[in-house]
Amino acid sequence: FSPEDEINLLVIVVDVNPIWWGQQAQREPEFTLSKCLDAVLVIGNSHMAMSRSNKLAVIASHCQDSHFLYPSKRWRGGDSGEDDAPSSGDGKYELLSVANKLIADEIRNVMTKTEVSGNSSDTLLAGSLAKALCFGQEIKSRILVIKAAEDCALQYMNFMNVIFAAQKQNILIDACVLDSDSGLLQQACDITGGLYLKIPQKVALAQYLLWVFLPDSEQRSQLVLPPPAHVDYRAACFCHRNLIEIGYVCSVCLSIFCNFSPICTTCEAAFKIELPQMVKPKKKKLKQST
Amino acid sequence: MRHLYVVIDCSRSMEDQDLKPNRLTSTLKLMEFFVDEYFDQNPISQVGIITTKNKRAEKLTDLAGNPKKHIAALKKAVDTVCVGEPSLYNSLNLAIQALKHMPAHTSREILIILSSLTTCDPANIYELIKTLKSLKVRVSVIGLSAEVRVCTVLTRETAGSYHVILDESHYKELLMLHVKPPPASSSSECSLIRMGFPQHTIASLKDQDTKPSFSMAHLDSSSGPGLSLGGYFCPQCHAKYTELPVECKVCGLTLVLAPHLARSFHHLFPLQTFDETPVEELQGDRFCHACQGALKDKSVIICPSCHSVFCVECDLFVHDSLHCCPCCIQSQSRP
Amino acid sequence: MKLHVQLQCKNLHQYLRELSPEILDRLYNHPATCLAVYRELPSLAKSFVMRMLFLDQPLPQAAVALWVNKDCQRDHDECVSVLAGLRLWHSQQLQGGLLGYILNPIFKDNLRITLLGGGRAWADEGSTLGPDRHARDIESLDRYATERWEVILHFMVGSACAAVSQDLAQLLIQAGLMKSEAGEAPYITSSGFQFLLLDTASQLWYFTLQYIKTAQSRGMDLVEILSFLFQLSFSTLGRDYSVEGMSDSLLSFLQHLREFGLVFQRKRKSRRYYPTRLAITLAAGITSSSSCSSLASTPGDAGFIVVETNYRIYAYTNSELQIALVALFSEMLYHFTNVVVAQITRESVQQAIANGITAQQIIHFLRTRAHPIMLKQTPVLPPTITDQIRLWELERDRLQFTEGVLYNQFLSQADFEVLRDRAQGLGCLVWQDVAHRVMVVTPQGHSEVKRFWKRQKSQM
Repeated sequence: FSPEDEINLLVIVVDVNPIWWGQQAQREPEFTLSKCLDAVLVIGNSHMAMSRSNKLAVIASHCQDSHFLYPSKRWRGGDSGEDDAPSSGDGKYELLSVANKLIADEIRNVMTKTEVSGNSSDTLLAGSLAKALCFGQEIKSRILVIKAAEDCALQYMNFMNVIFAAQKQNILIDACVLDSDSGLLQQACDITGGLYLKIPQKVALAQYLLWVFLPDSEQRSQLVLPPPAHVDYRAACFCHRNLIEIGYVCSVCLSIFCNFSPICTTCEAAFKIELPQMVKPKKKKLKQST
Repeated sequence: MRHLYVVIDCSRSMEDQDLKPNRLTSTLKLMEFFVDEYFDQNPISQVGIITTKNKRAEKLTDLAGNPKKHIAALKKAVDTVCVGEPSLYNSLNLAIQALKHMPAHTSREILIILSSLTTCDPANIYELIKTLKSLKVRVSVIGLSAEVRVCTVLTRETAGSYHVILDESHYKELLMLHVKPPPASSSSECSLIRMGFPQHTIASLKDQDTKPSFSMAHLDSSSGPGLSLGGYFCPQCHAKYTELPVECKVCGLTLVLAPHLARSFHHLFPLQTFDETPVEELQGDRFCHACQGALKDKSVIICPSCHSVFCVECDLFVHDSLHCCPCCIQSQSRP
Repeated sequence: MKLHVQLQCKNLHQYLRELSPEILDRLYNHPATCLAVYRELPSLAKSFVMRMLFLDQPLPQAAVALWVNKDCQRDHDECVSVLAGLRLWHSQQLQGGLLGYILNPIFKDNLRITLLGGGRAWADEGSTLGPDRHARDIESLDRYATERWEVILHFMVGSACAAVSQDLAQLLIQAGLMKSEAGEAPYITSSGFQFLLLDTASQLWYFTLQYIKTAQSRGMDLVEILSFLFQLSFSTLGRDYSVEGMSDSLLSFLQHLREFGLVFQRKRKSRRYYPTRLAITLAAGITSSSSCSSLASTPGDAGFIVVETNYRIYAYTNSELQIALVALFSEMLYHFTNVVVAQITRESVQQAIANGITAQQIIHFLRTRAHPIMLKQTPVLPPTITDQIRLWELERDRLQFTEGVLYNQFLSQADFEVLRDRAQGLGCLVWQDVAHRVMVVTPQGHSEVKRFWKRQKSQM
């Protein structure tokens, strides 16, 4: 069978963190969440229009939850009868207008119904990515993350698990970062072979998406694309969550510590003290040099 | 952390065609897969490959942590001519020479894939087994033909495992048993190892002050690309490497990337098994919380901590590859 | 020498390239055509179009050339030629004197409309008619489409029960799939046999192409019907559309489509129609990929043929058509209510090949219709059978035809040998028979050999 018959799924994970977008609307009123979603619709439509076998999924990543905007559960259930398929009165490809209406409806649902509770203001990307992986388990898929808010350091391990699962499944993770660089996503893109791009101009998001992220992996080998980003692979120590360049690793459980301690706090193994390794790392000097 | 030598029998009996197309080709193919899986599961461990034929043992690859090298060597080995008898003694001896210098906190393992029913040894192998035992080397054997007494003793004494294959799929299964790290024995020492987490610097040609430089890894390998722009720089002595993990040739610091370590975290924090309940007892929408698909199977899987419902496929995927519950990580803020 | 003409199935681009520029430009006036053309572009060209879709200024050609890697220059050149050939972009002089590319403005606007809307509706929606009291579900549409299509195929194999309209019969004859002698019922041609063994998507596309070819002679507007076809192929299965605003020629086209099973209309005069799966997969056939995966999901389309190594075929079907197809290249042994048993023999395969069917087509037919049990084994068909069918085909190709000039009636053995050696030296000797003093040389070598012979005789 020709590769054209193969289903090609693009999962777009959009960070809809209301706190970040609220602040953004005050900073730059010309680029709001709805502008961002317009850009998402453009790339989604372009992807679906490209080939009959191209499929799309859009996940909104919120503070506490992630929602499938498209395809939604209601739609899959096949009881779309009551709200009647919308007609494309404006010349848009029918499949696209159905999808776009669904996405718009769902995002309205998500933004009005979900409340920000507690003090966690981070977007839980790992969960959205995990769902994206589950969704695209058996088909050829790739994931595009549109990231707005800061990284959540607490997610490190889950995030790593997700990345490795993606790598095992041969799923690319692309990241389009709107604001501050994300170390986690840099690693995700580097490990899975995806593209990482922090866009210089938010308003031009749609063009960046079309130019850089629309081509699939086969086309990318032909195109000249932005060079790989600098990836921060320093580890965070288990004790203080500091990023370190030289650390101590427990031989039993591989926990990372920034200082030498006689007992591993994770697996409670008592370490044999080897004197030659007690040389203190010259931290200050190193930090300057990097 | 593991140090493993795999001994591959390349004696005449490897030309037998009971495995398709013959034992050697089949073994080498499975070994490629094994090496990949091994480094996937044991990221900062090392493997070496030894072949034995014509009463001699030869190193195919030294102990190293780079899967590419091993796989290239294995691919090349397909054309090996299988002759003569294997030598158990010589190959074990060769492996010991390298393994005995490995630090005590790592595991020392030998895996022998033995096809021949005979071995040609220059000295008493039982003496060697005693040495192996004292060095805490764990020897396991996979037999391709039948059980051999000497192997039984060898594996029993060194606390290894001994299996004889039934067919090709069983062969693969047995080989994959050795991918998972063996449980650390209480006698093994633990220690804190100093490691460096170098950053990857990418220099573009546009920068004025970047100069191409040699990687330290190329000091001893004659081939390979010489000059390159970017690379990983050892945080202690600034030696450059193009690939990790590696032990710094200048200052001896083990250089790894954080993801290498993170890869094995799931062994330490395994995901709890989910509960299975019949679909009839489920209230509310019948869709899988992970893949959003409708639940069609007779039973559904429920995560005991967040009570999310999953289908059987997603449950498998979550436990085999993801190692974390896709719904728990939405709410839980603990790493 | 090939004894028959292979059935040629062009893809959409090959077809469009042959059209005149004016027709092409008019075609791009409809968003559906733009989308269909865009989908069939090579993937790199798709990226090019996407990158330029929202730009209003021309881009320097040198800049476009920098988009691709150096080692993919050939792909780039191919894209440039495809895009220019289909008039999707034009070269334009930039201000600095550089050459630039700009997308065809009509194409650009219409592709933008398909993606983002903001244009006129493609066609009147069925919703203006209100809900249909006789609404059709997808299953019944599928059933209807397969039924209609099979009637055509039945008609081609000459089943008595199949009756088609005069128009359709005429079309089949014009397409060269059937032949008719005056006063007699039309009968199938060798191209027709080949046609039968294609998968449905390819059949449909081939048939549509033939239809379009003859459309102009029928007084139909090519652009109008092509646009309508593409519009159909992008419509939603199971929805109804209104015929409001369609021209008369388009309405008669709709009636033809109704007969082919591409659309469902309850009554001839009905104001609404439903596109069927056939219409929607029409665009899939364009890619000329040999798959019927999109149709495989329809019920009853599962494989039913078991082939055994003893050359027996068990076809679990009661479809007259399928049985007729199997009979094209095998000998029928038994015929039961739900199964037919046939034997592949040398004679039956040779017969099929004489009819213009190729071994590859037979094997493809058997493979695509293999019973689920057969699908479990690899290869699906027993290699002995596939090899033997190919060998039987090769048997017919034993003879190689070479044109030549015969030299005979030499007076002496010496004469013969002199001339033969000369011909051999020139490398133009095709065949010789020393005992009968006969030789054949190639036409190219003939004049040289003849001149030599004349010189030889004059010297004697």
